[in-house]
Amino acid sequence: MDFNYILDALPDLMRGLKVTLTVSGLAILLSCIVGAVGAALRTSGFKPAEYLVTGYVEFIRGTPYLVQIFFIFYGLPSLGLRLSVFWSGVAALTLWASAFQIENFRGGLAAVSHGVRDASASLGLKRWHHALLVVFPLAARAALPSSMNTIVATVKNSAYLQAIGLVELTFVAVDRIAYDFRAIEMFFSICVIYLLCVFALSGLGHALEHRLNRPFAGR
Amino acid sequence: MGQTSNHATGGSQDVCVEFSNVDKWFGTVQVLHDINLTVGKGQKVVVCGPSGSGKSTMIRCINHLEKHQKGRIVVNGIELTESKRSIERVRQDIGMVFQSFNLYPHLTVLENCTLAPRWVKGVPRKDADALALRYLERVRIPDKANFYPSQLSGGQQQRAAIARSLCMNPKIMLFDEPTSALDPELVREVLDTMAQLASDGMTMVCVTHEMGFARQVADRVIFMDAGRVVETAPPDEFFRNPRERRTRAFLSQILH
Repeated sequence: MDFNYILDALPDLMRGLKVTLTVSGLAILLSCIVGAVGAALRTSGFKPAEYLVTGYVEFIRGTPYLVQIFFIFYGLPSLGLRLSVFWSGVAALTLWASAFQIENFRGGLAAVSHGVRDASASLGLKRWHHALLVVFPLAARAALPSSMNTIVATVKNSAYLQAIGLVELTFVAVDRIAYDFRAIEMFFSICVIYLLCVFALSGLGHALEHRLNRPFAGR
Repeated sequence: MGQTSNHATGGSQDVCVEFSNVDKWFGTVQVLHDINLTVGKGQKVVVCGPSGSGKSTMIRCINHLEKHQKGRIVVNGIELTESKRSIERVRQDIGMVFQSFNLYPHLTVLENCTLAPRWVKGVPRKDADALALRYLERVRIPDKANFYPSQLSGGQQQRAAIARSLCMNPKIMLFDEPTSALDPELVREVLDTMAQLASDGMTMVCVTHEMGFARQVADRVIFMDAGRVVETAPPDEFFRNPRERRTRAFLSQILH
């Protein structure tokens, strides 16, 4: 393996990484919001909303991710919605991750005891105060481990977006291989870079988990 | 079957809780039958009865945690209807303590106590903290203010829950089996707190099987069975001379 070649390619890879992190970061942020709202709708008791969210989750889970990406990039323009490569990527990754975050948050909501609902009601707390100040923090804590799983998968799944020509980390590697045939150097490099990203995220997740578990440490 | 009489205690302003012919169903199962009950200002009522007799459901109707289908429930002059406004107003006057404490596990004891005053009444943080500390002192756990519920014993958690309710300055306190989830040696401290509250003049409705507490504190004991009020009497009479056979059977089970 030629490490000098890797050093030479590093600036290119870093530009790719920047795109990977931007797309993943946006998708993670948006999917957490959609996940929380979707899970709330799914358990709202309002049937049309529940069916809509369930249908969405089932559709995303039941179709190949690559097909979803192509659907957005190649399919939507014929329906009159033309997104750039970047925003197609963000949209595809967000839609995919959201379905899983909805399920993660739904699990979190189920873990919140009914007792606190009674307590808040008897104290006269408004429903949305109760949702925001009591249910959300408790559900987020319960959902965190599975949610971190999806967050890590979101970063890794950004690699698929090279298929629609998004110049992210994997695209850069594959592109250089097409010219220089240094496959082992490039794939080794991006694997290490992906691993480092995932380790950093996991570390962050563990720290957050530790913080949120503090009130429960005595149990 | 002994019909309950309305123990009217003077003018209607002195009546805190009034049930008139209240029925309630869970689906097709009727769980409350024709409940009539009047609790006057400052009165302490103890409700007992076998499991499934509807006593918890009855007490939960008072602040509309459960809704009744027939009859009238009036709390401090406000009739409980489906209107949000009536429910809100009634709940402002009522504090409730639960069997399983229902503290907010992610908040400290102090934060548990200040959440509702700050967000419902808009009390500034500093004032809410001071108020909470005052009530935590009253239930004798001011040193636990910055602990999380999981770090407290059951008795301390229940006293924290009582303090949390008192921070909203209720006129009526409801207790739904407040000592049933506690280890025996922790029951006393919670009952003492409740007795102290009673001696301060609080209007109280307590579902409990602590008959010593009923004797010491209650103005009236209500015995329920199968969704009906079977017997209502002052504690002395209730324990010494129960009229109904069902009451006698129950008492012989729980008094040893």
